[in-house]
Amino acid sequence: MDRDRNIQNLGLVNLFLLLIVGGAAQMLALYASSATGQTGVVFLALGVLVAAVSAFQMRLEAREKVEQLECEELKKSASALFSQEADTFPARRSREQFEKWFVPGFTIVLCVLQGLGAYLLWKWLDRDQGLNTGRGTISLALASLFSLFFFMRGKYVAGIARLENHRLLRPGAAFLLLGSLMALLMAVTEAVGYFSYSRVDVIVARVLCVVLGLVALETLITLILEIYRPRLKGQAARLLYESRLIGLLGQPGGLITTAAQALDYQFGFKVSETWFYRFAEKALAWLILLQLGVLWLSTCVVVIEAPEQGLLERWGRPVAGREMLEPGLHLKWPWPVDVVYRYRSREVHTFYLGFVPDVNSDQEKTLLWTRSHFKEEYNMLVASREQGYLDPSSAAGGEQVVPVNLLSVNIPVQYRIKNLHDFVYKHVNADDLLELLANRTLSHHLVNVDIDDFMGAGRLAAAKKLREEIQKSADENELGVEVIFVGLQGIHPPVKVAPDYEAVIGAYQEKQSNILSAQAYWAAIIPSAHAEASNTVLKAWSESLAKVTTARAEAAQYTNQLAAYDASPSVYKERSYLETLVRAIGPARKYVLGVTNTHDIIWLNLEDKIRGDLLDVPLPAGKK
Amino acid sequence: MKKNPITFVTAAVLAVIFGLMLFTFQVRQTEIAVLTTFDKYSRSIKDPGFNWRLPWPIQKVYRFDNRVQNFERKFEQTTTRDGINVLITVFAGWQIADPRNFLESFSGDSLKAEQALEPLVRTMKTGVLGQHSFGDLISTNAAELKFDLIEEEMLANIKDQARKNYGIDVRFVRIKQLGLPESITTKVFSRMKAERQTQVTRFLSEGEREAKITRAKADSTANQILSEARASAIQITGQAEAKASEYYKVLQQNPDLANFLFQRNALEQSLKDRTTLILDQQTPPFNMLGGVTKPASNKAQ
Repeated sequence: MDRDRNIQNLGLVNLFLLLIVGGAAQMLALYASSATGQTGVVFLALGVLVAAVSAFQMRLEAREKVEQLECEELKKSASALFSQEADTFPARRSREQFEKWFVPGFTIVLCVLQGLGAYLLWKWLDRDQGLNTGRGTISLALASLFSLFFFMRGKYVAGIARLENHRLLRPGAAFLLLGSLMALLMAVTEAVGYFSYSRVDVIVARVLCVVLGLVALETLITLILEIYRPRLKGQAARLLYESRLIGLLGQPGGLITTAAQALDYQFGFKVSETWFYRFAEKALAWLILLQLGVLWLSTCVVVIEAPEQGLLERWGRPVAGREMLEPGLHLKWPWPVDVVYRYRSREVHTFYLGFVPDVNSDQEKTLLWTRSHFKEEYNMLVASREQGYLDPSSAAGGEQVVPVNLLSVNIPVQYRIKNLHDFVYKHVNADDLLELLANRTLSHHLVNVDIDDFMGAGRLAAAKKLREEIQKSADENELGVEVIFVGLQGIHPPVKVAPDYEAVIGAYQEKQSNILSAQAYWAAIIPSAHAEASNTVLKAWSESLAKVTTARAEAAQYTNQLAAYDASPSVYKERSYLETLVRAIGPARKYVLGVTNTHDIIWLNLEDKIRGDLLDVPLPAGKK
Repeated sequence: MKKNPITFVTAAVLAVIFGLMLFTFQVRQTEIAVLTTFDKYSRSIKDPGFNWRLPWPIQKVYRFDNRVQNFERKFEQTTTRDGINVLITVFAGWQIADPRNFLESFSGDSLKAEQALEPLVRTMKTGVLGQHSFGDLISTNAAELKFDLIEEEMLANIKDQARKNYGIDVRFVRIKQLGLPESITTKVFSRMKAERQTQVTRFLSEGEREAKITRAKADSTANQILSEARASAIQITGQAEAKASEYYKVLQQNPDLANFLFQRNALEQSLKDRTTLILDQQTPPFNMLGGVTKPASNKAQ
């Protein structure tokens, strides 16, 4: 009886310890902003639930035993008066009902909580964690204290739980030892964070999330297997809510025991009793210590890879003469005396001005002004030679017309680190500052340049000038970067006015077309005029020549004719007349009126025939 | 009782580590630290390196980043002296100059420092812009532009207050980007469209003008060429006439014969094509149709 009461008390103490120390650990984790600590507290919260259920189950079992003893006493004294009916054991029935309904139900809830906890913790870790709060020392001390406390209590309870009929203490003991491990992990992450490795905290917290997820999976599998487990009378049911994984994490020594047992079983003899195994078991701690020592000494060697440079610091101060480590093997004092920070300083970095790149824009084969091809394009203000006007009566309204133009620019800027010391030690975020300064330089450049100059012939010169100005600005601010390229790859009017700009280009082409058409007219008409002029002049020359030649010939002919005429004037004239008549009227149609003294009226049809008739067809020449 | 050396070594190592953590601290090149004793300011450590301290809770160490930090806020609408609405975003670079003041003002929290810096920057930004016209911000005339001056004025107004009140040294204030509100942007687009339309009209008119001039010049030049050619032709013809008339002087020897010959040639030429002649028997040689014995009474003269 006393023993059962002791077990119950142990279970209750475990529950309260988990509750109180877990609460304290939660406060400490919040105080230190420790992601590992807060994740570990979730494990402890689940442990409180498990410890509460196991404590309740202990009480039920204790009541059952009391009831059984009372029943046996009664059997001895008045066996004839009372029968052994089932209804006479309410405590046993309560325990059986509890194990039949409550335990599986609780295990299901526990499984859901474990899964949900893993998911929510993972999501929670996605946000920025408060790193390096500067409270590492106190956190380390308290976490170590909690770890020690949980360890001692857990070891004690775990020892008792190995005794017969004390199995219900096991889940609580496992969570106490797990609490010890969690507090130890928190202490380690705080210690590492103290030496500026704050990210380790989040990494460990993520690993714990995965572990919690695995525990949820284990609980689910246990539940499924429980359905198919053969029920043997008298065999104590396994505690469904007890996790083997948590037990293993809390007592890693159990893993060695389990492994030894597995080896014994596999080889058929007691491997665990051989001298080698015993030696290894004894030397294990030394080996681990040696391993840790070697690991620590390995921090004396650092290898800087080809695209990298390293900054060597001793107690946080750059080491004179060895401030910068170039690619290769280097020796240094072990951590935390010397620490090397690596940077891929030779890589070319790129950022963009005027737009936010869109990954899908690469799929477009043609980039047009009239279609937006980036995720976001900014309208940059550009000066204008055109004079705008301001309507003072509506200064606050939307009727203002200002002497500026808007322009979309797509400018990639490439740079590389040329002075790692300045880049790292003088600015918290030199990359962002360079981008800000480049934006400022672009804005400054655009407010002082005419849009048509910038878009036209001055583009290449503008790119060169922009690069020089960004470099100058970076040098003034000691950014330690070299701007290697500024590309004015896309400068165009905003999409809304792009068609109007295209219309200007179209109009210019039409102007040129009109001018060229007129020039073609010129090209056609002037040679033609020259040709006609030449023709006229030459024709005149030709006619003149003919006239003169004819006159000369006629004069010569006349001289000869005069001689003939002088010889016989009347004969010459008559002969000449008749010869001419015969020659001249030969082809003419002739009507000769033979009778002149008659009154007959002669009608002659002198109309021309429009169409020829058969008589007009010339006969073929006869054969000779 | 047998002592376990491994336990001793482990405990010693842990004690050394723990002792180092309690009694020492290091300040990195990028850091600046403040040491307090019982929460009272003791000293600032600006040089990097190894330092001793008394353990918590006697002494506490607060570390801050001593590098230049960027501060940037959203686009904000404001008005210039001449009443033009503009959107402007500025950025600043700040650095902790007085760590004690910084610790006391913001408990060492950079986020709180930026929250305190924001209204200061905004006030000075809008205040300075309100003293400048729009042309000071944007102009093709470099002499009119006061972009750099505006930035310097903002910095000058912010610098002293930030240094004095917050222990912060504002290193620079720069205008990142300028913009216009949506309603004005629409108007600017309209004006840009109108400008482009003007250019379209100008180009088309210029094209037409050039074409017409070219065509007119072509016609004029062609006419000139033809006129000159015609004049040359007339001159050539005249010269030919003069030369021919010299040959015809010989006709004066017997004008009667010359006239006869001219008549004969004219007759021959005029009867050349499609001529219908109605003749009677009086016309020689058809008078021969009346009989060969009858002598021809009419002779052609």
